[in-house]
Amino acid sequence: MLPRPQITRTLTALTLALTLAAPVARADYPETVRDHILPGYQRLAEATAALATATEASCATEDLAPAYHAAYDAWMGMQHLRFGPVETDGRALAILYWPDPKGSGARAQMALLTGDPAKLAPEVFAEQSVAARGLPALERLLYPDQALPADPCPLIRATAADLAQTAATVLAEWQGGYADQVITAGEAGNPLFQTRKEARQLMFTQIATALEMLDDQRLGRPLGTPEAPRPERAEARASGRSARNVVLALTALRAMAQSLTPDAPKTDAGFAHALDLLAALQDPVFAGVAEPNARLKVEIIQQAVAHLRELALGELGPELDVGLGFNAADGD
Amino acid sequence: MSALGLTPRMGIEMTSRRRFLAGLAALALPCPSWADAGSPAFLAAAKVDEGYRLFGLAATGEALFSLPLPARGHAATAHPQRPLAVAFARRPGTYALVIDCAKGALAARLTPPEGRQFNGHGAFSADGAVLYTSEVVAEGSAGRIGLWDSHDFRRIGEWDSGGIGPHDIRLWDQGLIVANGGIETDPGDRTKLNLDRMRPNLARLDRAGRLADVVELPGEYRQNSIRHLALRGDGLIAFAMQWEGDPAEAVPLLGLWRPGSAPVLCPAPETEAPRMKGYAGSIALNGSEIALTSAKGGVAMLFSAGLDDAGAFLATHSRADASGVAAHSGGGFVLSDGGGGLSRLTFDGLSPLRREDGLAWDNHLIALR
Repeated sequence: MLPRPQITRTLTALTLALTLAAPVARADYPETVRDHILPGYQRLAEATAALATATEASCATEDLAPAYHAAYDAWMGMQHLRFGPVETDGRALAILYWPDPKGSGARAQMALLTGDPAKLAPEVFAEQSVAARGLPALERLLYPDQALPADPCPLIRATAADLAQTAATVLAEWQGGYADQVITAGEAGNPLFQTRKEARQLMFTQIATALEMLDDQRLGRPLGTPEAPRPERAEARASGRSARNVVLALTALRAMAQSLTPDAPKTDAGFAHALDLLAALQDPVFAGVAEPNARLKVEIIQQAVAHLRELALGELGPELDVGLGFNAADGD
Repeated sequence: MSALGLTPRMGIEMTSRRRFLAGLAALALPCPSWADAGSPAFLAAAKVDEGYRLFGLAATGEALFSLPLPARGHAATAHPQRPLAVAFARRPGTYALVIDCAKGALAARLTPPEGRQFNGHGAFSADGAVLYTSEVVAEGSAGRIGLWDSHDFRRIGEWDSGGIGPHDIRLWDQGLIVANGGIETDPGDRTKLNLDRMRPNLARLDRAGRLADVVELPGEYRQNSIRHLALRGDGLIAFAMQWEGDPAEAVPLLGLWRPGSAPVLCPAPETEAPRMKGYAGSIALNGSEIALTSAKGGVAMLFSAGLDDAGAFLATHSRADASGVAAHSGGGFVLSDGGGGLSRLTFDGLSPLRREDGLAWDNHLIALR
């Protein structure tokens, strides 16, 4: 048995350690990898696998809608990450090819729908244009704007299986080495990151770039200009989830920012404000952009996202001791 | 004498006279050369703490010298024989500094004439007698090439660049190739004024500055600003573009041109093209490979410049804020980035050469021959 004073000392040391640890929540890019990225890709792999399984039982839209939306939701939780395994072989594009201003996806997909069924074999399908694959491809088959010229069921199954395979590969590569390379940034021999700061900057850049994409593309494309609003350009309009995608993207970005640092209150308030505005919006596909009052609401959301990006650049970046690249921010 | 100094007859006389004088000088004093500046392989501008400097770098990436710049730099050019580097300001440029890299001293400060602005790039003539500078008329961005005598850095003339908003210029068969970016900018703040009607071109100027050849891109690529150039000895011109159209369209950002024929655009595969984010910032050519960088996309891309498959995509490699790129004498390229890193870039990937904390390399890395 230990002498009493020593127990006291041990307890005191333990109490002190807990006291010191408690208010300082660990937050940095390794936490982002463990708490945000790996669980997110796990959810994506599970949701897309469930969708693929569901297509084996039925190809009816009403039967597949829950699994389709769950898979899309899972991707919106991860779409902001554009580095690592998701960039190999254009996987992020093979999951969500949007925007597609020239409609190349629909054209290529129509050829698959009416063409040689051999192209639907998994290894052959994986070689098809990324524009003809992924979530928008499924949406065009599940929510067609006009009658399809052939039974879509084989193509629905092939597309869903391909999507699940892509998500599984991304998860496997993160788990099978890429996560370790990010976490060990700056250690001797790390092939990707010469310093820890490089990994932190990469994370920050994902947030800044994704906010720009929300502003310019997800909100900006349907808004068009006041003279020429373009409601038909809203993302995932046919399945009615344009605004939902913006909500999910912001929610995921907020979680990522929080995993990097707890000390960016203005940025966090900026996320909260944009999400509050979206919660109050009763316009799931931004159809109102062509009508002045409803348009104003979407414009205010766009301004809130643009302001949020400024807050992140001004507060989150300095807090992480990083910024947009010296050249990326100012090209010539 | 103005540009007439470039007529063949005069040129020969001047060259002979200079050789004669140089010969005399060599008997008395060693003639300063790049060896006196440590024989740098590259020049690059950088932000260092809160200031800006021009660096001379060895092939290993080691800094051989560095000299202060008064404001953010862009590109530089080196005299073919004398250890003189000209550092150009970022657009809209109000200065170009001629730096004696052997003495570490300012040799001359060039100021564009009233109403002109430097546009970030320049080149010496093959014999080193004339410095050409890429310029715009501030109001309207009409392109000009400024001519400066490299002995006293007096302005001796100017040419029309053959387009709007010239950016990079390169020496070509006694004349010049000019990347006329096509963008009219506000003289004060770089705001782009004509994106809906821009018409970039590639122009070839002959030794007297006459427009000898000019090519434009097909109509759908009129918003693809031609900005940077890399030339090969056999006459192949590789050009890098920056897309000002719909960012959702991943258009080709590399083109190849041989004067006398139409330019050929070289698309990357659909799975790779979007990674450049519509922006190619620097370009270099080494033997049968071309490297393009995108700071906005954080990637470098390699394409073939081979005889059989010129323009074919080879590889994409990731590096945050990838900016300058230049041919490496040992094959492949050196890539600089805004995080202070220098890396070797080859088909197989990137390997770190050197890294400096507190330093951000600027857009371009200039190889010295």
